[in-house]
Amino acid sequence: MVQFDDLTEKMLRGFAGRTSRRSLFTLLGTVLTGAATLPLLPVARAAAAASDPPLASDPNSGEMPPQSTGNPQDPGDPTKCDYWRYCAIDGSLCSCYGGTMNSCPPGTEMSPITWIGTCRNPADSRSYIVSYNDCCGGVPWGRCACQNNLGDRPVVRPQNNNEVTWCFGTQSQSYTCSVAIILGVAIDQK
Amino acid sequence: MHAPVFSSKSFTYTQRQEGVKPQQGRKVMYKILVSAILVAAAACAAMGASAADFPNPLPAETIPKVETLPAKYPTTWSFLNYAGDRIELRNVGSDSREIKGELQAHDSATLLVSDQRPELYVIDTVWARGVRGARTDFITVYDKQTLNAVGEIVLPGGKRALITAMEGLTTFTDDQRMELVFNFTPASSVTVVDLVNRRVLGDIEIPGCSLVYPTGARGFSTLCASGTLLSIKLDAAGAVAGRAESKAFNPLDTDPLFTASTTVGGIRYFPSLHGRIQPIDMRSDDVKILPDWPLVTPAEAAAAWRPSGWQLVASDESKLLYVLMQADAHEGSHKDPATEVWIYNAASKTRVKRLRLVRPGSSIALTHGTEPLLLVQAGERLDAYDVRDGVLVRSMDLPGFRSRMQIDTLR
Repeated sequence: MVQFDDLTEKMLRGFAGRTSRRSLFTLLGTVLTGAATLPLLPVARAAAAASDPPLASDPNSGEMPPQSTGNPQDPGDPTKCDYWRYCAIDGSLCSCYGGTMNSCPPGTEMSPITWIGTCRNPADSRSYIVSYNDCCGGVPWGRCACQNNLGDRPVVRPQNNNEVTWCFGTQSQSYTCSVAIILGVAIDQK
Repeated sequence: MHAPVFSSKSFTYTQRQEGVKPQQGRKVMYKILVSAILVAAAACAAMGASAADFPNPLPAETIPKVETLPAKYPTTWSFLNYAGDRIELRNVGSDSREIKGELQAHDSATLLVSDQRPELYVIDTVWARGVRGARTDFITVYDKQTLNAVGEIVLPGGKRALITAMEGLTTFTDDQRMELVFNFTPASSVTVVDLVNRRVLGDIEIPGCSLVYPTGARGFSTLCASGTLLSIKLDAAGAVAGRAESKAFNPLDTDPLFTASTTVGGIRYFPSLHGRIQPIDMRSDDVKILPDWPLVTPAEAAAAWRPSGWQLVASDESKLLYVLMQADAHEGSHKDPATEVWIYNAASKTRVKRLRLVRPGSSIALTHGTEPLLLVQAGERLDAYDVRDGVLVRSMDLPGFRSRMQIDTLR
């Protein structure tokens, strides 16, 4: 629950920080919306992820030499769509651009505002809350495109939608690629 | 540096010597020489015959010469928006993969086609230095016959939503005199644009709500994260003249509505992820959320038949509703290509036909001619079916296409 509270606080602070520049109506509306929907999110999505449906892999994936995290508890190839953290990713994989699964390529800037997924790690059978941050202002080649939609929802809930370009608070809003960063454990499946 | 090059050439020579003995090599060379002479002689004879057949040379041609398009496009022409990166006008009624023209598009570009004025409107975003520098959001006004840019409206604030091109990011209202642009920063707002005088009228904040759907004579509705629909009436200056919010009807936790919709008899229909259809009457300012109804029987629901795809609903405008459907649906499969199109009579709320697609499709649209075609974007193909008998009449290339398509058919 500590991680859960941290996540909620982080997301609400992000939203509030951004919207405070706009009108009172916007601030109130966004915070109320966030308060109503965000706390429910990780629990509901972790439950959905427990069934482990197959991930849809884009044929564009697989054009890079294999990579590994080197950590047996973090298995898979970060340049491929079926790497476990990418369960709700929609975009190009930064591991194919000079970045890694959790860092942006040189010359880009990581957006602090993002969309969230919950993915199950096959090595330790835990569900993790994953932050899909976009890297912005670099050269988009369209390489290693991936479209996985586990837990994706229509843009009416934008924080659950992977069609939005999440380049906010960055110097350039031009999209380059996406990373998948572990924020914490959602629910221990053991 | 010389040694490796010399070595390389020696290696090539050695390889040839190993493959062909010297005597055989001379025979091969002789055969090649004879063949070349014969071919050259035949070519000269052919040229002579052609000149005799055509005594007059081809006339000199005009420079410069640029194609133009008809004032009214045929109904077999359609705009294909490649995820906002490219917009193409194509004749889908031809087997020749005819491309009639292209419109510039960089990032999440969206298109509106006017039938009130001879104009097209593309909203786009660019940065001054390619992927960096000052951001500009702008509407380009194109002449429909020349595809020349004849006007531009700059949208202030760098706030338009950069989302994969889809329905709801923009719409006409006020009988096409106004265009509405959905903004997301991630605060939500709508920019109102006067297309006649080509200027921005102002912004309307819509906190917690997303996308725009035309409503009443001059206004829009937007889907809210609280599960409601907020409808806003505008005055002639584009300012808010009235607001009304529905009760919550969109269950976002359990069975949310897709944001793609289609209209039948003026009523807008939204499918849900689990297989309901939600009609909403937005014809007047008094918006009515009508009773929803199931697209699937209990047995079909048990087999996990659900709507799926991108532009996943279409209509013939008068009666029939077309929905992309997939079996064995599961969490995360709602944007996967669908295997069938199910066709409903919207008035009687009954299914009238199931059409099994030749290959799974993601986006559908109907052309508006006397012999309508059902267009299906299926991976790198654009398939055209005869809606009367469901026969695939044509399949066109979409080379290298791996993203989401928005299809705009024309009246």
